[in-house]
Amino acid sequence: MNSLTWFYAAAVGWGLAAAVALLGGSAPGAARGTVKGALRAACVLSALGGAAAVAGGVSSLLWGNSRVVSLGGAVVVGTMQLQASSLAGVFTALLGLVAVALAAYAPRYHEAGAGSAVYLAVYNLTLVAALAVFTAANVVTFLVAWESVALLCYLLILRHPRRDTVASGAFWFLALSETGFVLIIAAFVILATQAHSMQLDVIAARAHLVPAGWRDAAYLLALTGFGFKAGLVPLHVWLPEAHPVAPADGSAFLSGLVVKLGAYGIALFAFRLLPIGAAWLGLLTLAAGAVTAAIGILYALNERDLKRFLAFSTIENTGIIVIAFGAAMVFGSYGRRDLWAFLLLAGLYHVANHGTYKSLLFLEAGVVEHAAGTRDMDRLGGLIHRLPRSAVITLVGTLGIAALPPLNGFVSEWLIFQGLFQGFRTGSHLIGILIVLAAATLGLTSGLAIYAFVRGYGIPFLGMPRTRQAAAASERGQPTAGPGLLAAACVALAVGAPLVLLALSRAVRTVTGVALRPLLLPGNLTVIPAHTDFSAFSPTYLAVFLIAVTVVPVLIYLAGRPRADSVTVPVWDGGMVAFRPRMQYSAMTFSAPTRVTFDALYRPSVSLRRASDDPAGRSGPVHYETEVTPVFLRYLYRPVIRAVEWLADTVRPIQSGDVNLYLLYVFVVILLAYLIGAL
Amino acid sequence: MPMWFARGLRRGIVTTRYPARPEPSAAGLPTPPAFDAQRIDAALADRLCELCPSRALRLVKGDGEAGGDVLVFDVGACTACGRCQEAAPGAVTASGEFELAATARGHLVKRIPLAEARP
Amino acid sequence: MSGNDMAASGGAGPATGPALGGRAGEAGQEQRVAAELRARVARQFGRSLHIRTLDTGSCAVCEQEIRLLAAPHYDLHRLGFFFTPAPRHADLLMVTGPMIRAFGVAARKTFDAMPGPKIVVATGACALGGVYPADAFTHGGVGEVLPVDVWIPGCPPSPLALLQGLLVAVDRLAEKVAGLTFIAGAQPGEVPE
Repeated sequence: MNSLTWFYAAAVGWGLAAAVALLGGSAPGAARGTVKGALRAACVLSALGGAAAVAGGVSSLLWGNSRVVSLGGAVVVGTMQLQASSLAGVFTALLGLVAVALAAYAPRYHEAGAGSAVYLAVYNLTLVAALAVFTAANVVTFLVAWESVALLCYLLILRHPRRDTVASGAFWFLALSETGFVLIIAAFVILATQAHSMQLDVIAARAHLVPAGWRDAAYLLALTGFGFKAGLVPLHVWLPEAHPVAPADGSAFLSGLVVKLGAYGIALFAFRLLPIGAAWLGLLTLAAGAVTAAIGILYALNERDLKRFLAFSTIENTGIIVIAFGAAMVFGSYGRRDLWAFLLLAGLYHVANHGTYKSLLFLEAGVVEHAAGTRDMDRLGGLIHRLPRSAVITLVGTLGIAALPPLNGFVSEWLIFQGLFQGFRTGSHLIGILIVLAAATLGLTSGLAIYAFVRGYGIPFLGMPRTRQAAAASERGQPTAGPGLLAAACVALAVGAPLVLLALSRAVRTVTGVALRPLLLPGNLTVIPAHTDFSAFSPTYLAVFLIAVTVVPVLIYLAGRPRADSVTVPVWDGGMVAFRPRMQYSAMTFSAPTRVTFDALYRPSVSLRRASDDPAGRSGPVHYETEVTPVFLRYLYRPVIRAVEWLADTVRPIQSGDVNLYLLYVFVVILLAYLIGAL
Repeated sequence: MPMWFARGLRRGIVTTRYPARPEPSAAGLPTPPAFDAQRIDAALADRLCELCPSRALRLVKGDGEAGGDVLVFDVGACTACGRCQEAAPGAVTASGEFELAATARGHLVKRIPLAEARP
Repeated sequence: MSGNDMAASGGAGPATGPALGGRAGEAGQEQRVAAELRARVARQFGRSLHIRTLDTGSCAVCEQEIRLLAAPHYDLHRLGFFFTPAPRHADLLMVTGPMIRAFGVAARKTFDAMPGPKIVVATGACALGGVYPADAFTHGGVGEVLPVDVWIPGCPPSPLALLQGLLVAVDRLAEKVAGLTFIAGAQPGEVPE
C-alpha cells in the first residue's frame, strides 16, 4: 500500500477520534457513562490512526519518496500538496507510535468530562496537523500546518488555565513559536522566490542555482526559526515553562514530538532543500548543538520538579540531534559524503529514540503525580515499592535516556560519537580540532546525563518516602499499557538495531544518494559505523550478552546454592540510632557538586537567615535558600522585552482615541495613495 | 622530593620483620608487671591494690591452697602505668611481655599466691 | 570464633584458664570444636583479612596505634590485612573504648551489618573492662554488648601487640598469654601451687 494511503487512513482515524470526543464527550447533558464511552472510542480510533501512521512512516522509509498529491485549495494560497518523503519517515513513524501510546494512556489518566473531551479532540486535531507538516510538499501547506500545530498546542497546554503558571507557560510557548514562525516564513519565502516555485521538490532541484548568499541567509533564518521550536539555546526559554504545565500526555506529545518538528525543519533545509554549503554553516550548527546539549543538562541538574527536569533534558537531546546534523554538514562540505550520510542517519536514529523514551518518562511523571500528589522530587521517595510496574517501566526509559547499554539511547549516541571521531578525515587540522571539541562536549553531556538520571530515578523511586503522600502512593487505576508499549519499543529499537539501521539507511540513500548499507551492516548483526577498520559492535549480541551475564549467574546460584544460613539484617545506615527519611539525599544536595564546579554558569545566590546570633543555632530555625540565576531570561530576554515595551509605549500615542486624529490619518493616507498612484 | 628519595635509599628497608624475627625496638615498650610473691606481704599487697588506677589488682584473702592470700592480677585491665613498680621496686618488676592477645577473657586473669602468713 | 554456631556462647573458645581437672572431657570436646572453627577461620581469613575499626568512646590513643599499623615501619598489608570502612566488606571488627551506653545501638548495628563469619577483637584496657567500671554512662567493656573472640590488653597496645593479636585472631600465631604467670622468677608455663 502506498505510504500516503496509510497517512490518509491515519488522518481519518484521528479526525474521527476528534469528532467522537467532541460530540460524545462534551454534548450538554450527556450521562457520565456515555462520556466515558465516547472518550474510550475516541482513544481507540486514535490508536488505530497511530498504527496507520507507523505503517506509513515505515513504508516511506523503506520505499522512498512517494508522488506528490494535490488536494484542491484556494486560488490565493495555492493548492495543498502532500508527499510521503523518506526524510519524514522517521518522524511520522514516531508520531504514530507516540499516538498509540498516548491513546492507551489517556482513558486512565484523564477524568471523564467535558474538559477532557475537548482536550482529546484538540489533541487529535494536533496529530493531523503534525502529520500534515511532515507530509507537506509545498511551502504553503507546510506553513499552514505548522501554524496549526502551534495554535493547537497552545490550547493543549491551556488544559487547566486557572492553575498556577499555566497561563504564563502557554504564553511563552506561543510567543516564541510565533517569533520562530516569522523567521521560518522568511526562510521559505527567500527560497521560493529565488527558485520560482512553491513546491519543495522543485526548490530542492533548483537550489544549486540560487546564489550562495541567499542560500546561506535562508539556512540561517531556518536554523533560528526552527531552533525556536526545537529548543536550541538561547531560544529555549519557553520549553521549561510550557512543557511542565501541560497534562502529562500533552507534555509527552510536546517533548516527544513537537520539538522534533523543529529538528525536522532543520534537517529539511540542511539535507533536502539546500545543497551542501560552506563549512561554517555546519560548524555553526554543530556549535549550537553542542552548547545546547551542555547547557540543557546542566540546568536539568538543578531542577526539583520532575517535569521541568525532563523538559531541560529534552533541550539536551535536541542539542545532540543538532550536533549530529551539524557534523554531517561539516563532513559534507569537505567532500566526505559517506560521513555526511552516516551522521544524518545517526541523528535520525536519535530522533526516534528520544521521542520514545522521553514520551515514556513524561507519561510516568504523570503517573507519579497522580499517585503521590506531587511532582517535587524532594517530596517523593520509595516509589519502587509502591508503584512497582511503573518503576520498572521508568527504569527502562531512564536507562535509555542515560545512554546506557544495551538500550537504544546508547546505540544512537555511540553512532554519533563514532561519526564525530572521524573528524581527522576532513583533512583540515582546525576542523578536526573543532569536531573533537564537539565530541568532548558531547562526552561531558553524556556523563552529566547519567548523573542527572541517577538523580532523576533514584530520588523519587529509591530510598524511603520523604512524605506521607509518597508513602501512600498506590498503583491502582494508574495507566501502564501506554508507557509499557513505549518501553517495549525502547528495547526493540535497541535489540533490533540492525533492522532499524536497514530502514534508516534506505531512507538516507533516498535523501542523500549515498548507499550506506553495505558499509554499515556487512554481516547481519554487526554494525560497522562510519568507516571500516575503525570499530564494530553488535547491539543485538550486546543485549543478549548483558542479559545472559545477569541471568546465568543467578540461575547457577539458585540451582547449586550452598546451604549456608542467611540472616536478614536492616540496611547499613551508618549505625544511626533512628534513621529518618529526611536524612536521605535530597535532589538538590545530590547535584550540589555541579553547582560548585559550574558556578560561573549558574551564579547561584545563597541567602542564609538565622533566628538568633547563637552560632550553634540553638534558639530558632535557620532559613537557607539558594537559587540559580536565570541567565538567559535576565540578560537576553528581559532587555528585548523591555525594548519592545518601550517601542510600544512610544507608538501608543498614535492610538489616542481622538476621532479627529483618526480622520486626519485617513485623509493623509488617501492623499499619499493618490500621489503614489499618480507617479 | 629527590632528597626524600635519596634519604630512603640510604636508610633501606625500615619495615619490621615481626613476627618472623623478633623486633629489637620491643625492648623499650612499657609492659605489665611481674610480681615476686616471696617479697610481697599482705600490707604491701593492699597498698598495691589501692595504688592501681585501673583496678587491675585485687587481694583475695585466704584463697590460696594453703590458706594464704592470693593477689588476683587482671592483665587486661593493666595500663602499664608503672605505679606498682615505683611503690615496690624490688617486689614488682616489668615483665617484658607485650604479646598479650588472649582468646578468652579468663586467660588474662592471673592468680599470684602470696607467701603464707607466718604464724 | 563468632560463627553462627558459637554466637550464643559469646564466642569464647575453650573453658577459661588452663584445663581444670574434673571437666577435662567436656573441655576437651569444646576445645575440639573450637579448634575446628579456628581452622576454618584460618583457611578463610589466613591470607586476606579486612578490618573495620570501631571507637566506642575511647581517648583515641588506641586509634593512633591502630593507624600506625599502616605505616611503613609495621605495614600490616604485608601480612594480608586491610582496613575497610564498610562493615559489609569487613571480616574483623576491632573495637576500642569502654562501650559507652550512647553507642550501644550503633555498635550492635555495625556488628549485625557484617556478614558471617566474623571476628570481634576488643582492643585496649578500656575495651577489656578495666579503667572504667559499668555505670550510667558506660557498659564498662565491649564484652557486655558484643561477642568478643580475641582480647588485646594494653593502654595503648603497641602496634606490635596489635599485630600479634590480629595474627592470633586468624590463627597464624599461637596465643602466648595463657601460659604466662606474671610471677617473677617462675618458669613460663609453670602452674603455681
